[in-house]
Amino acid sequence: MRSLLFTLRLAATSPTRNARTATVLGRLLGIAFLVCLLTGLYSHFLQEPAEWMRFPTRPVWLYQVSQGVHITAGIACIPLLLGKLHAVFPQLFQYPPVRHPVQVLERASIALFIATSVLQLVTGLLNTFQYYPWPFPFRQVHFALSFVIIGSLAIHIAVKLPLITRYWRARDSYDADGAFVEPAGSLDPARAEFTATRELTRRREAEEARVVSSTGTAPPRPRGLVGRIVHWIDTAHEGDRDPHRARVSRRGFFGAVGVATGGAVVLTAGQSFTAFEPFNAFAPRQRGIGPNDLPINRTAAAARVLESAMAPDWALTVSNGDRSRSFSADDLTAMTQDEGDLPISCVEGWSQTGRWRGVRLVDLMATVGAPADRRLRFTSLEERGGYRVMLMGSEYATDPATLIALELNGERLSIDHGYPARVIAPGRPGVLQTKWLTTIEVL
Amino acid sequence: MTTVKTTRTDRAAAPIAGRGVRVTRGVLIVVGIALIGLGGYVLTETVSPTRYSGLLVWLIGSVIVHDAIIAPVVVAVGLAVRRTGRRVPAAVIALVQSAVVVGVVLSMIVVPEIVAKAKGPKNDTVLPFDYASRLGAMWVVIAVVTALAVAIYLVRTRRQKVRESTDQV
Repeated sequence: MRSLLFTLRLAATSPTRNARTATVLGRLLGIAFLVCLLTGLYSHFLQEPAEWMRFPTRPVWLYQVSQGVHITAGIACIPLLLGKLHAVFPQLFQYPPVRHPVQVLERASIALFIATSVLQLVTGLLNTFQYYPWPFPFRQVHFALSFVIIGSLAIHIAVKLPLITRYWRARDSYDADGAFVEPAGSLDPARAEFTATRELTRRREAEEARVVSSTGTAPPRPRGLVGRIVHWIDTAHEGDRDPHRARVSRRGFFGAVGVATGGAVVLTAGQSFTAFEPFNAFAPRQRGIGPNDLPINRTAAAARVLESAMAPDWALTVSNGDRSRSFSADDLTAMTQDEGDLPISCVEGWSQTGRWRGVRLVDLMATVGAPADRRLRFTSLEERGGYRVMLMGSEYATDPATLIALELNGERLSIDHGYPARVIAPGRPGVLQTKWLTTIEVL
Repeated sequence: MTTVKTTRTDRAAAPIAGRGVRVTRGVLIVVGIALIGLGGYVLTETVSPTRYSGLLVWLIGSVIVHDAIIAPVVVAVGLAVRRTGRRVPAAVIALVQSAVVVGVVLSMIVVPEIVAKAKGPKNDTVLPFDYASRLGAMWVVIAVVTALAVAIYLVRTRRQKVRESTDQV
């Protein structure tokens, strides 16, 4: 067991795998994870606010940017996490596997961290194109795991703090030739044990070679499968001892992680950010594609509103306690129309600004004398679905930019975009921009 | 964070257990355990227990896919490249290896899109591109750029060598 773990660890050693490369990538990954957590929490509370919560409605692109950053940072985490796991892979083969009872917790927290963060990135990526091949609900698990990830990350940082501070700066990490300065045994007992064993093996071999050269017999070839494999691995590592090769190999590694991260960001961020639109090669969404030149998440067919939304007797009922009024599509069109540029920003990361035209929500609510400080409840024609009923805080309800939209990008609203009428408010996730409206109530 | 006023060699040898580090560690561990607990609580509150086994399988599967498949393949390929490529300039190996890594990582992001598109997206505005041919084009671009970079490197080093030898004459 002991020799097997040493062999595996030896096999996994490379100039790109050391505490310094782990520290460098760990810092970047830590920042990216924190960005994802904060933007994710913002998105979560926008959708499920506590009673006392109020949100800014300006700038109107706030959620567009925060969720675009969430998805883009998450995609950037994929190459970074792979690089980080690459850098620390030899640590998997520690001997003894557990040195101390506390180390059980440490290794368990790392296992938890790897499992949850890999799963989080996989499910998050697939969610951006609505692909759910797993047997659990995405949103709830994604939310719960985010705390587990950050928690196990905090424990991991606590455990590795001495190593992180030791290798924080490049000049403390490499000697004049560019060779990695191994940590002292007190910092990394596993590494110390590993180097000690390698040193012993090296001396024994040198001694054998001396005996062989003095007696004149040929050195024995390694025997058995394991012996041959170990020999093969050992000779493969010969080049690593040359500091120049090690340095070039390290540069190549960081270059690869950097280009992969940059490439993943540049080639997908066009779904969220205008600056990257010309490079949108791989994002699951392309701006401008869809009815009214804008993509859709949930179609009228999926929401089963094809008949009810096209019904000639459709009316939007607005009520404030006992006062209630119904507006047909013609009634709404006859009211004062307002126009504004507001983004549709999806929780899945894509967003696009549209030119909306319709009735100001404040004007509509004034017809039933709605007070300014109350929440509103919007109901869609959808018969089922998590977003059939939507609550709107007073900050959005009283914002003059919030519209009951009838037109999008110069045309009557397409049925897939919520015909006959939908709501569009500044700074809210797309799922809360309720389509196929049927009632609005003051709460 | 405390600043340890020691020389470089001292710092490498001395066990770092300053008060600042100890306090930071304690705080991080308490916060970490609390957050893991919170995550577990949120999970039990929002996810039906019938889904736990499926989630557990996917969590363990994630570790197995990385630690038992992806990482060992990377180690084996790395060793093989280093063994067979000892005569090849280090920079050329680094360039080719990096190009392959970039291509593979981007493929890992794009291949699920190809699968999802084949299974049929929810509507036409989801996954609108032909991702397979775009991925193919990306590999061609990577190959061409890498070949150019290697060629430029080789030409440059040869010129330098020629210059060095003519300088000596």
